[in-house]
This record gives sequence, structure tokens and C-alpha cells, in this order.
Amino acid sequence: MVRAAIAAALLLPFPLVVAPAQGQPPPASPPSAYVGSNACKTCHADVWLNFYRNPHFKSVASGKEPSERTGCEGCHGPGQAHVAARGGKASIPRAFSLLSPKQALEACLTCHESNFDKANIQRSEHTQHDVACTGCHSIHHASTPQRLLAKKQSELCYSCHAGIRGQFEMPSKHRVNEGFMQCSDCHNPHGSFAATWGMGQRSHMVEQALDNESPCLKCHVDKRGPFVYEHPSVAVEGCQMCHNPHGSMNAKLLKRPVVFTLCLECHDAGGSGTRNLGVDLQSARHNLLDPKFQKCTTCHVRIHGSNADQYFLR
Amino acid sequence: MSKLLLPIFAVAGALAAQQVVAPTPDTVGSPRGDGWGDYNVTQSFETGYRFHLVGGDIGEYRSDANYGNGLRLLGSSFAMNSKDGHGKWFDQITLNTSGLGNDPYQSAILHVEKNGLYRYDMSWRLSDYFNPGLTVAGGEHLADTSRRLQDHDLTLLPQSHVRFHLGYSRNIEDGPALSTAQEFNLNGSAYPIFTNVRRQWNEYRMGAEAHFAGFQFTVERRWDFFKDDTPAAADGIQAAGTPTDLTVLQQFTRSQPVHGSNPGWLGNLHTRRKRWGLNARLTYVNGKNDFALDESALGVDQFGSPASRQIVVGGDAGRQNLAGDLSVSYFPTDRLTFVNNTSISNNRIDGDSTYSEFLTGTNLGTTIYFRYLGIRTITNSTDVNYRVADWIGFYLGYHYADRRVETVEGFTLPAFANSTENNFYEVGNQLQSGLAGMRLRPWKAFTVNFDYEIGRTNNPLTTISDKNFQTLGGRAQYRVRKVQLSAGYRESYDFNSSFSLFSSHSRGYSAGASWAPRDWFSLDASYDKQHLDSSSFLAFFAGTSRSTLQANYRSVYISNIHAANLGVRFAIRRRADLYLGYSITKDTGDGRATAVPAGTTDPTQALLDSVQTFPLTYQSPLARLSVRISPKVRWNAGYQYYGYGETFGLLGYYQNFHAHTGYTSFLWSF
Repeated sequence: MVRAAIAAALLLPFPLVVAPAQGQPPPASPPSAYVGSNACKTCHADVWLNFYRNPHFKSVASGKEPSERTGCEGCHGPGQAHVAARGGKASIPRAFSLLSPKQALEACLTCHESNFDKANIQRSEHTQHDVACTGCHSIHHASTPQRLLAKKQSELCYSCHAGIRGQFEMPSKHRVNEGFMQCSDCHNPHGSFAATWGMGQRSHMVEQALDNESPCLKCHVDKRGPFVYEHPSVAVEGCQMCHNPHGSMNAKLLKRPVVFTLCLECHDAGGSGTRNLGVDLQSARHNLLDPKFQKCTTCHVRIHGSNADQYFLR
Repeated sequence: MSKLLLPIFAVAGALAAQQVVAPTPDTVGSPRGDGWGDYNVTQSFETGYRFHLVGGDIGEYRSDANYGNGLRLLGSSFAMNSKDGHGKWFDQITLNTSGLGNDPYQSAILHVEKNGLYRYDMSWRLSDYFNPGLTVAGGEHLADTSRRLQDHDLTLLPQSHVRFHLGYSRNIEDGPALSTAQEFNLNGSAYPIFTNVRRQWNEYRMGAEAHFAGFQFTVERRWDFFKDDTPAAADGIQAAGTPTDLTVLQQFTRSQPVHGSNPGWLGNLHTRRKRWGLNARLTYVNGKNDFALDESALGVDQFGSPASRQIVVGGDAGRQNLAGDLSVSYFPTDRLTFVNNTSISNNRIDGDSTYSEFLTGTNLGTTIYFRYLGIRTITNSTDVNYRVADWIGFYLGYHYADRRVETVEGFTLPAFANSTENNFYEVGNQLQSGLAGMRLRPWKAFTVNFDYEIGRTNNPLTTISDKNFQTLGGRAQYRVRKVQLSAGYRESYDFNSSFSLFSSHSRGYSAGASWAPRDWFSLDASYDKQHLDSSSFLAFFAGTSRSTLQANYRSVYISNIHAANLGVRFAIRRRADLYLGYSITKDTGDGRATAVPAGTTDPTQALLDSVQTFPLTYQSPLARLSVRISPKVRWNAGYQYYGYGETFGLLGYYQNFHAHTGYTSFLWSF
């Protein structure tokens, strides 16, 4: 009740007294505390029966791993107390449903810390928001053949990112719902390195290509360049200057329904100093009331970058 | 704010995505599979017939959905697992496919593994792309291409302290498309030309990981090769057809090959200890593109005289990109985490281009251009994460970035002495932002998150870049076995007063519910509203008689998008499954009745009014019935409707369509 009251108050000063943690990892156990997976399958035959299909089974098959890194006890901790108590979650040293998110993360990282794709997990926004491994992965009841996800990947992500889901249902979108792409084609849910576009801050979860570029260029390789005439907004600020990457009500994932407003908002002919920053201004030859000047990319066809023309005409 | 949040949190969302109607997600057969010697095998295949019937703009249908008619292997899965983990050649094979046999979106994913020896992953994907190109060029940039992607990754000794990686990726895009060429007159029209898109990219990777003394060291070398050999030719005889412009494009060819590569290195060292962690990375790319262009056009100029034009361009462009990251984590207690990250990126792109042109027999000479774009960014971020108790935690962050963008624009006319010019532009920008967040878990099943960020930059590159910005977000989730409820709010405001008083406000609200009270019934529903309004003062050239600078107009864009989903699943006596779903995405715009408000007489204002909002509705109800015929066979049938309706003919043309699609199939399990 006290918790509920404080939670409702939300931003009231919080007590700095640190209460003892629930479900703390057990102290290091002597080897004798491990009973082996054979003891577990006596009662948990349903789990064991299909465990050979689980990627974690390879630690059992190798026969070389120490007790604390293999079989049921590799994840759940030594089972002697659980056996002695004749079951019960409370006697399992690491019952994941009772662990705090940080404890669950630490348990999984015991083995998975060596993976390069999890090198940034401490600064991941998921970690900041207490999204632990078990929030997305289901070790014993996975829905996907790979990565042991609790649900199909897009459904899993949408369950928290409902606003993103709405974008993928717009007329113009990347084909995630259709199964051609997955969220992890562009994002690393375990955290990623600083972006090399924008001001290097956003987003923490975008998976960059190996050569440190926007993930868009993994597929749209013709936009990569290098070009003699780069469109700086692409290389400097990123594709999202003009495009909504998930989906848009406008064609080609554009932020505006017609291109001239998109272009003019940067290429403002007022010339309030923008040319001094290297941004070209709208030409005085372009009468915007002439329909042919309202679709800028009809002539500026190489808008992402050109080798032949400084105005992207060819 | 709290008034807004409370009712949203009281509603609540987590649910299944709105699906395409096929393949069928229901399964059949024993999940335990069959024994093949020392292996266990499970497999299923769903094959059937798709149909579609489209009324209205088929181009927009193909752009949005694109499903066609014909027999398909809608989906398949195959898994073979060694029962003891000691198979002779492999311990696991999984193969999953979707849409094979001419669906517009097809994929195959293969995984083969031998414990301790190797792991191989392959994915192959195909996407048929169609875009009428109305938005960007009035239909003259139509594209009907397909893209095929494949990735192969082989890891040797995946469970050892030293692992080796080999990889290969391929990306091919080809197909017919239209583009445009502007000929004989810089102020003239652009004419459609036909292009046969032929692009290919290949990447080879090789690397190793070593684990020693608690450190993991990764090194990866990659080579990639890109080529674009897309030729262009006249799309028939094209004429401007106006009294003031008599231009006719009679013959046209353009060859524009680009061949290049972006080889690179990556090195990473990371470790995690009881009280600290370290993650360091360095990447280097040295890319290069060689290109040539040969363009020839023949026709009539704007005054009706014969005209010809030949352009020859050659040169190369290069890029050197060096990036480094150092992230240090410190865990003084089990409840407190400090992470400091410093990243440096130095991207230097330069190139030269030799441009020669003959215009109607006149040699306009040769110009040698030189361009340089340098982007150097240094960022530092410090984040503190403190868990006061298991049910409450906070995090704070301070982020700093310093970026310098340099541009050099130079040219030389070799035929004229002292004709060299070099212009240098430089922009320095510093960003400082702070963020704070709170996590609450008052009960095990209930979580609440809040976060807030405020940032300031002093000199953004463009008018629409982040300058004075803030974001505020919150999310609540209640999750128990049979019910999931969630709600969220996020707003992002940016005010950029640099050049044109640009401001942007976006607000998103979402709520959803997932309820499965019985084995035979489940319900999912969600609602999401996304509001965006942006405003910017514009200066541009326009006029009814003479084009003059206009500086008193504003660019305004308002979008109010409502997206809703509903899905209901019934199981009938374990024999049949019925799924009914509905999704709608509706942009109501700003509520105006006509694109240009009545009484607007200024043609410039009328033009700007007409693009300030783009109301439209896109909806898709679906129904699917799946009947279990035998323990290993299901029969499925489904119907999905797509409806697209624009309220205003913003592009001078309504792209509205309605489409009836469906399928019937059998799902076998062996």
C-alpha cells in the first residue's frame, strides 16, 4: 500500500534508504550443491523431453562445461536446496520469474557477455528502462526457431512500442508485417554504439552497418556513395531528415506529402546566412507557381548524391 | 499533463500485430515430431492459391500491398535436431520459408549447426517494389523493381575461446523504371526517360574473436564491391507542348556506370567485471567510387531550333571514415551503475569530376570540379542508473556533442588561366542535453516508466535540425497471465529559431489490451494517435507575372493520425480456428473541409494551403478460418480487404483503390 501511494505520487522525493534486495543472487555455492540435470528431469520431464532442441542444450552435449555453466543449474543455480525442499520456486537460487531485471540480466550475461552484439548492453535504453532478457526471450516456451523469442519479433516489439506499430500499418512502410524485414534488421535491442550521423546521440538502439553507417544503407546501397556531390543532409544529419523510417502516410516514406515543402524548409531562399553554412538556396529561376517547379526531384533526380552534377541533375 | 496521462493509463496495450491474411499462423501435427535415427524431425508446409481483385488505382495498390494471383508455398518449416547433441555432420538444421512461388515478399532462413564445430546462418529475401512516383515527379519516376538480399555467416569453433567468422552478403536490385532528363534549357521541362535498373553489391567478411583473461577481442575485415550499370534511353519522343516552350526530346541515351568499394576494418575489446566494464571499438573505412557518364540528346530547343547536347563526365570519389568508441561502466554497488561513453567520428569525403559539354555544336569546354565534405563529431555521454529498491529506480544522463562540418567547393576551367575558385564553408555545432527517467514497479505485474530529455544546440546545420528541444514520455503496463494492458504517451517539441522560426510538435498516445480468458478465445485491441504540427517561415521565388522573392509565407504541416486494431480469435471444439481482424489508419488532417479554404484568392497562399494537410484513410479488415481435417492436415481460407481513400486530390489525382484479396490453402505436417 505504501508502495502504491508513493508510486501514485510519482515525483515526490523518494526515500534514500536502500532496502535489502529481493531475490539477490545466491552466494557462491560449493560444487557439492549441484545435483546435475538428471535430478531435475525426475520432476520436470516435460521441460527436459524437448530440451535437446534448445540452443542451451549444447552445453550439456559438450560434457566439458563445469556444473555452474551447464544444464538446468547453469542458469537456475545449484539445485540441492530445491531438491531437499521437494520443489517450490523459493528454493530455486535463480528462479527467473522472481529475479529483478538486473539480476536476470546478470545471470544471462554470465555466458552471453562474450557476444559482440551485446557489448553495449549497459548503456542500452532497454537496460535503462528495466527491460530484462526475460522480457523478450522465453527459454522454455519460445515461439521462434531462432533467438528463443517469446513471440514473433514484430509482435514482441509492438507490445511496448505501440506507436511504432501504427507506423508500420500506414500505406507507405517498410515490409515488417509482411515478413520481409524484422526490427532487428535496423535495431540492436541490446544496445549499440553512438550514431555517426546527427549529433551522435540518437538513437542508442540503431544497429549500424559494419562500416559505421546508417542501417538504411545496408539495403539501399546505391545511396551510400561516396559521391563527388554529397547531399549533406544525408551524410550529416541522416536519412530521417526527409524520411520517416518506419512508415508514413506519404509516398516513399516522406515526411511531407509533396516534396517542395520538404526541400524549401531547408533550402530557404531568404538566405538568412544559410549559404554561409554551405546549404544551397532555392534558385531565383524557379517560380514556385509554375507546376514544373513544384516537384523538385523531377529535375534533381540524384537527390541523395551525384557524381556528375552539383545540383543533382544527373 | 497528469490529467492527460491518468485516463490513458486507466485504459491500457500489448497485442499481436495486424497480420497479412496468409500464411496461417495455426499449427498442426505433433510438436514432438518424428524420429529419424538419432534425430528428431518436425516439418510443415502450407501451400495454396492467392487471389486479388483491385478496383481503382492499381499503381497505389501495388505500392501498398502488391499481393497477386497464383499458387504459392505460403510458408514452410523444417527442423532436424540431434537427440544427444553428437550428430555426425550436424546437430541442428532449421529451415523456414515464407511466400515462395511469386509472392511479392519472400524469404528463406536456414540455420545449420554442429555443436562446438561450426554454425552457419543463411537468409535470403526478395521484395517486389512498385512505386508510381507521383509525389516526387508526377509519375515520371515510376519504379517496378525487385530487390534480392542474401546473407551467409559461418562461425567456426563457436563454443571455443577463439572463434572464426566468415561471411558473404549480396544485394541485387533490378527492373524497369522511369527517370527524367532536363535537356537543352536549364529552365525547361524534364522529360521521362526509361531506365533499366541494374545494381549489385557484394560483401565478403572475415574475422575472429578471442577470449582471454576475461577480455573479448574481436577483429573483422570486410571488402565490398558495388556497381551500378543502369542505362537510360529515350522513352519515345517527348515534347513540352506549351506555346512558350517548344522543346522536343527526340533521341536520348545515357550510360552512367559507377563501380566502387568500401573496404573496412573493425576492432573491438570488451570486458565485464564485478565492479566495472569496458567496451572499446575502432572502425576504419576507405571507400572509393569510379564513375563515367556519357549522355547524348537530340531534338528541338525551346525556340523551335534543332538542338543537340552531349555531356561527358568522369572522375572518382573517395571516403575515409574513422570512428572510435570507448565506453566505461562502473558498478560501485549492485544498485548503482555509471556508464561513460566517448565517441569520435571523422568522415572525410572528397572527389573530383571532369565535366565536358557540347551544346548544339558549341563546345562549352571542360570544367574540373572538386568537392570535399568533412564531418567530425565528438560525443560524450554519462548515464547514471540507480535502483533505490526493487520497485523504484531512477536514471540521469548528461550528453555532450561537438560537431564540425566543413565543405570545400572548387572548380577549374583548364582553358582559361587563373580560373580556379575554391569556396570554404564551416559549421561548428555543440549540443548539450540532459535526461532523467524513473521506473516504478509497485506491484510485480505493474510497471510505469517516465523519461524526460531537454537539449540545446547553438548552431544547427539546417532549419529543421534539433535546436531547442525536449521530449517527455511515459508508459504503464500491467501484465498477468491472461491479461495485458498498456498505455503510453510521448511528446517531442523542437524550436529552431536559426533561420526561419521552425517549430515542430509531435505527440503520440497509445493504449492497448490483450485478453485471453479461455483457450478458445482471445482478443487484442489497440489504439494509437499521432499528432504532428510543424511551422516554418519560408522565403522563395514565385509570382503570377514575374517571379519575385516572397518572404512572408509560412510552411505549415498538420497531421492527426489515428491507428486502431482489433483482433479476435475463436477456437471451435479444437477443430477450427476463426480469426477476425480489423485495422484502420486515418489521418484526419486539421479538420478542414477543402484543401484550400474558401475565400483564398492569393494563388501563392492557395498553393501552400493545398499541401498543409493530407487526410486519408487506409483500412484492412480480414477474416481467416482454419479447420483441422486430420491430426496432420489443416484446411485454411482467408479474405482481406484493403481500402485506400484520399480526401483531397493533393497531387491533382486521386490514388484511391479498394482491393479484395484472399487465399485458400492446406497445411501439412509430416
